[in-house]
Amino acid sequence: MKEEKTQVADIDRSLYDFRYEEDERDYLGSGITADIIKEISDEKGDADWMREFRLKSMEIYNKTPMVEWGPSIEGLDIDNIVTYIRTKSRMNTDWNDVPDDIKNTFEKLGIPQAERESLAGVGAQYDSELVYHNVRKEVAESGVVYTDLESAMHDERYAEMIHTHFMKLVPPTDHKFAALHGAVWSGGSFVYVPKGVRLEIPLQSYFRLNAKGAGQFEHTLIILEEDSYLHFIEGCSAPKYYEAGLHAGCVELYVGKNATLRYSTIENWSKNMYNLNTKRALVDEGGKIEWVSGSFGSHVSYLYPMSILNGRGARAEFTGITFAGEGQNLDTGAKIVHNAPDTSSYMNTKSISKSGGISTFRSAVTVNEKAAGSKSAVSCESLMLDRISRSDTIPVMDIRTDKADVGHEAKIGRISDETVFYLMSRGLSEEEAKAMIVRGFADNVSKELPLEYAVEMNNLIGLEMKGSIG
Amino acid sequence: MEKIILNKLPVPTFGWLKVNSAERDAAAFGTGKEREVLLADGSRAELSGGRSVFEVTAAENEKTSAVIYISGSEGKELTTNVKAAAGAEVKLVQVYENSGPAIGSVNADIAENAAFELVQLYIGGKDTVSGIYADLAGRNSRFKADIGYLLDGDEKLDINLVASHAGKKSQSEISVKGMMRGSSEKTFRGTIDFLNGSSGAKGAENEEVLLLDETVRNKTVPLILCAEEDVEGSHGASIGRIDEAQIFYMQSRGIPVDKIYELTARSRIAQVVSKISDKDTADRVNAILTGGEEDG
Repeated sequence: MKEEKTQVADIDRSLYDFRYEEDERDYLGSGITADIIKEISDEKGDADWMREFRLKSMEIYNKTPMVEWGPSIEGLDIDNIVTYIRTKSRMNTDWNDVPDDIKNTFEKLGIPQAERESLAGVGAQYDSELVYHNVRKEVAESGVVYTDLESAMHDERYAEMIHTHFMKLVPPTDHKFAALHGAVWSGGSFVYVPKGVRLEIPLQSYFRLNAKGAGQFEHTLIILEEDSYLHFIEGCSAPKYYEAGLHAGCVELYVGKNATLRYSTIENWSKNMYNLNTKRALVDEGGKIEWVSGSFGSHVSYLYPMSILNGRGARAEFTGITFAGEGQNLDTGAKIVHNAPDTSSYMNTKSISKSGGISTFRSAVTVNEKAAGSKSAVSCESLMLDRISRSDTIPVMDIRTDKADVGHEAKIGRISDETVFYLMSRGLSEEEAKAMIVRGFADNVSKELPLEYAVEMNNLIGLEMKGSIG
Repeated sequence: MEKIILNKLPVPTFGWLKVNSAERDAAAFGTGKEREVLLADGSRAELSGGRSVFEVTAAENEKTSAVIYISGSEGKELTTNVKAAAGAEVKLVQVYENSGPAIGSVNADIAENAAFELVQLYIGGKDTVSGIYADLAGRNSRFKADIGYLLDGDEKLDINLVASHAGKKSQSEISVKGMMRGSSEKTFRGTIDFLNGSSGAKGAENEEVLLLDETVRNKTVPLILCAEEDVEGSHGASIGRIDEAQIFYMQSRGIPVDKIYELTARSRIAQVVSKISDKDTADRVNAILTGGEEDG
């Protein structure tokens, strides 16, 4: 009788691997040159300060070396990446006005349906530009602003606010890809929640990179005033090509006094993508940032959302899961800076490696001199599903005050034989037992997501156990 | 001035944290001709300056133990090579006693069924850079490290420990306990590296740090690297203050808070000292810790 080993299947990406051909006349040239950057500025009608900012960022990009740690990005040739693709469509507030191929893309991804059923507003970016943005009437009437960043920049009500905040948390000098972002950024969302407004239904932006050999550089800027609440969901995907693609987005979050922002991401880029994204939150007194992060796609990821706890009693929570399969090297984690008294942080992450995938948890917790009375706890667990994969844990704690309480724990291992044996003694097959254990392992993240996204995540994990044992 | 790069983290991380290596001026440490010293079973050696290489070797199924004191204000550099043949047991105690600038390294080859136990105490020390590499090459090889440190003033300590698991069912157990005062600085890098083929291996690492002044600077970097499925690895770290319930209990017994910290720190270091089986060495260490006064 043919024997088949028990195995956990790779994530089923067929849902995301459809694509439409781009008209190459819509592409600006490849690489980073002053001419291309000026052309982007012309396309967008940038203000003078933004034109200068882009060119200055390009200079910083040219001077800044690559980082000397993390996964190899040798396969990424920036000179061959198309940094900007002209949109076929102006931005719309009605799906019926969006061109058919783009609308069909988002229909397949379930975005309009989600908007109808469970979201307060939706933004949809296709390649370099937003093609759709809409927010429910009652949400707009509460004073919440949810629009594309570029429209907001050209709106005199928000222009100064954006000028004051844009790339102040993540300056172009931060690292090479932050500089690249500053030079060629395009698209993204702007959210402003006024004082005391609590938005109980989430907003969602979805970023789709359809074009071959291209980069996506969207910028998300969210400002929460005092005592406000927002849940923002970000989704990303791309079809698979053989050419490398690049995602170097930037997320800047300002959380006001006693405000709470939950920022959820389900990232499912295709396995030709380099995901070099930068996310950062600045949290004021009594405020809270909650990151929920699922990393499933991309060939290489560098992703470490940073929380700067800048006001007394500010809090940060990070809940994440990373699933690295064949051909993937996913380097993920979080950074927390305790910069004020009585701040607290909690990090809880899980990672799964299989079929030669490499998963790395990387973190930094810094408790500064001013952060007396602060507390931090980090917990990370890794699961190895075979012996050809790899899983590394690289945490750092830098503590500069005696009045802190910092704890860290990490575990690595495989599915325990004893647990499988126990479940089998209760009547489950070995396949069912292992599937149950792996689903349970990912539970910390799925229970933090809205139901429909938890279902999507379970689909993404696609943990399919099959075959007879032995 | 010639710079030397020491204690490289096996896998580098964020540059701004400045934990990927330790950079020092070469001239501050030991200079001159290297001295080779073979340490027989039961040896006690003392290094107060210059450069020395110590060899501690145990043949098949033999037991060997040795003690090295590192003291004196001169700069110094020492390498300790440990070889534990199949079935052998080696115990090495190293005591850094208020030493001047020192670079130390311990390199251990641990064969099948062999065990290496390392006890290290850093009592003060102007600037100590210490590397420990345990090669768990043999099946069922074992490595146990108990490390304690007491730092005050502007003292600096930089440790890089790597337990490399190549052998099947190899085991490592690393325990680090320390107390920091004044504006002292400490970096502890501890890596458990499960290489492909080390199935059945287990590694555990734990660090407890008590910080007693607001100007201290502590960095803890506990890595687990894993290229094998059937292994168990864990690390834990607890940094900062004593548990509030414990303080409350001791206060209820009439002990003032500053004394509670002092007693807790001493008891943690005493746990490391208790691993020193050589009575003379334990007495010498206890005398330094109590400043010549009897406890009680």
